[in-house]
Amino acid sequence: MLKSMGILLIATAILLIEVPPLLEKKYKKELLVFSILLVIGVGLSIAQGLGKTIPNPMDLLTYMFKPLNDVIAHLSK
Amino acid sequence: MMQNVKINSYQFLILVTLFSIGTSILIVPSVLATAAKQDAWIVAIFGTGIGLLVIWLFCTLAQWFPHLTFIQVTEKILGKWVGKAVSLLFVFMSFIYASSLLFYSGTFLNTHLMPNTPMVALNILMAIIIVMGVRLGLETIARSAEILILFFFVLFLFLVLFISPEVKFENVQPVYEAGTRTIVQSSLSFIEVTSVNAIVLLMIFPAFINKFKQAKKSFLIGNLIGGIVIIILTFLSVSVLGADNTAAEFYPSYELAKRINLGDFIQRIEALMAALWIIALYFKTTLYFYASVLGIAQILNLKDYRPLTIPLGMIVVVLSLVIYPNVVYQQNWNATTGIFFSYSIGLFLPLLLVVVYAIRKKQLKKSPESSSV
Repeated sequence: MLKSMGILLIATAILLIEVPPLLEKKYKKELLVFSILLVIGVGLSIAQGLGKTIPNPMDLLTYMFKPLNDVIAHLSK
Repeated sequence: MMQNVKINSYQFLILVTLFSIGTSILIVPSVLATAAKQDAWIVAIFGTGIGLLVIWLFCTLAQWFPHLTFIQVTEKILGKWVGKAVSLLFVFMSFIYASSLLFYSGTFLNTHLMPNTPMVALNILMAIIIVMGVRLGLETIARSAEILILFFFVLFLFLVLFISPEVKFENVQPVYEAGTRTIVQSSLSFIEVTSVNAIVLLMIFPAFINKFKQAKKSFLIGNLIGGIVIIILTFLSVSVLGADNTAAEFYPSYELAKRINLGDFIQRIEALMAALWIIALYFKTTLYFYASVLGIAQILNLKDYRPLTIPLGMIVVVLSLVIYPNVVYQQNWNATTGIFFSYSIGLFLPLLLVVVYAIRKKQLKKSPESSSV
């Protein structure tokens, strides 16, 4: 719980630093991308802080390259 | 989109050098010694030679579009949608590698220097300075590299001078026992770390350099200097520690620093030498992170990349804790999937771009916007 609170506090601080200049310059698209990334970042951090398992992108890559890997392993025997 | 950031070719030389040394300084000697035993240093020489060819390929690709970054080049050559999809893969790679390097620095500090500090804290500290560097821009990164490289090479010189009395030439004999086949095979991972991954430098190489001709030379020279540093370190690790110890050790060059003993007076200075690793790792991670942040901004046609740095920094820290559950997984992944992943983006993709460019040359030349931005 404490960890989530801390992460939310940090996220608020980031919002306070980043958003006013963006609004001032009317960068709408930047603001949208920034918010999406921040939501993902906060979500992942809280999930990690609470000890939930986060899917590992390396496993996805291993799965993608498995056929190639098998062929090379077979050839280099 | 274009920031008016320009660095000169000397600064670029330093960035390339630090990038090539980057992670190789920590892990490459051990990886090479596992397969090639006492001939690890021959593998490093061979790998540096092939690596220069790879860099030459990057230069060729870059000189056709001297004002565009790699993301814009793929978009230009492959068309808008295919280009964007391929660029996404490229950004994904640099982002994943940024977090994996964060994992390296975290584990290194955690196992050797600060065993009681949780790895999250070390990763967050490192990530904060990386985000800081990227927010301040490429010029600031390049200037700080200019200062720190002096420090780096002085320490490196100390390491080489102080350890040289311990060199035992029996450890590298018999020379060339491994045979050509093993040498070529094990050089693959060396080329991957020092040269193929240097594709992320194409995000800064033609676009943000003020003199292209000199920069091309410094790309090659920087890679060569990086290669020579790794060759020296590999040779020293094998000849001081022996081939089997080098292979068994996870950070052989750190072990090397522990062996320094000058007249029973100068000894155990490895904590000082750790500065070498931290400097090199920091710049490599920063360049990866810079490439991914700028890449995302350019794919989405944003006017400024700076707002994205902090949220992406948060994601990088989380990923760095997740991507490698343990060191065995890491070594296994690096030896199999990592190689294919790097080669398909760092070597196959540029080759594909070269071929497509050769086919579409006339068509691309006709459209006026390809010559200038």
